[in-house]
Amino acid sequence: MGRRVKGTARITRLALLTAIALNIFLAEAQIPAVTAVPGIKLGLANIVTVYVMFVLGPGDALLVLSARVFLGAVFSGQMMTLLYSAAGGFLSWCALCLLGRLLSRGQIWLASPVAAIFHNLGQLLAAAAVLRSWAVMAYLPYLVLAAVIAGLFTGVAAQALLKRLDKLRP
Amino acid sequence: MRTKLILALVLLAAALSAAALLLRDGGTQAPVARITWDGVLVEEIPLDGIQEPRSFTLEDASGSNRVEVEAGRIRIAQADCPDQICVKQGWISDGTVPIVCLPHKLMIEIVGGGGDLDGAAG
Repeated sequence: MGRRVKGTARITRLALLTAIALNIFLAEAQIPAVTAVPGIKLGLANIVTVYVMFVLGPGDALLVLSARVFLGAVFSGQMMTLLYSAAGGFLSWCALCLLGRLLSRGQIWLASPVAAIFHNLGQLLAAAAVLRSWAVMAYLPYLVLAAVIAGLFTGVAAQALLKRLDKLRP
Repeated sequence: MRTKLILALVLLAAALSAAALLLRDGGTQAPVARITWDGVLVEEIPLDGIQEPRSFTLEDASGSNRVEVEAGRIRIAQADCPDQICVKQGWISDGTVPIVCLPHKLMIEIVGGGGDLDGAAG
């Protein structure tokens, strides 16, 4: 696969993927919240994260993810969400690293809901640390349910993306 | 096999969450709104004893929130943070979820005397 790509080609590819993820993230941010429970969203940008994790590996996935999280906070003008996105992003990256070893390329759709659950858990842990109270964990059931549904959706999308992009390669 | 195990765990997490949401007892006998700020308890308001609506403003260097209280319910009516999540959440009247304003480290949760009922019913 693309693993052997080095130097400028690698930077260009990662930059392109970051740009795609950032655009998806910002476009999704324009969609009004569906529920009163904060933190529930589709997380379409994670399609890119999952794709990079399985095709280019954990290191590149972390690079793209952290660049997207930071730039996403900058461009959406909400720097204080950075802490929560970073905590959630890192935890879900850890989960994805593990899943990358366990799952084959045909089972990517399953990695996404697990990563989404850990993302929301990470966010709540960060919020609990900021508020110095475990009361925010009352949100956990809502967020886990939403993560499973949204994660399955983005997972299937990532799987479809991988299938199509594989066809493009010689 | 691995796939099935992971899938089962995911579905289990979803099922447990759904069960927690369905079974949780948000209703309390004597709801008390507890306002904590940066982990410190600022005010406790018994919501049953309120005759007429009142509002007050909590303010510090990080910003301000206007809290409104009515009989049996409480909300953040105004906040000077950009995301307005706490304001959008609206009124809460039971202990299901707290109102949280992360930028100001402010939290309003409702606790109540329903504790022994839970034990008996559980």
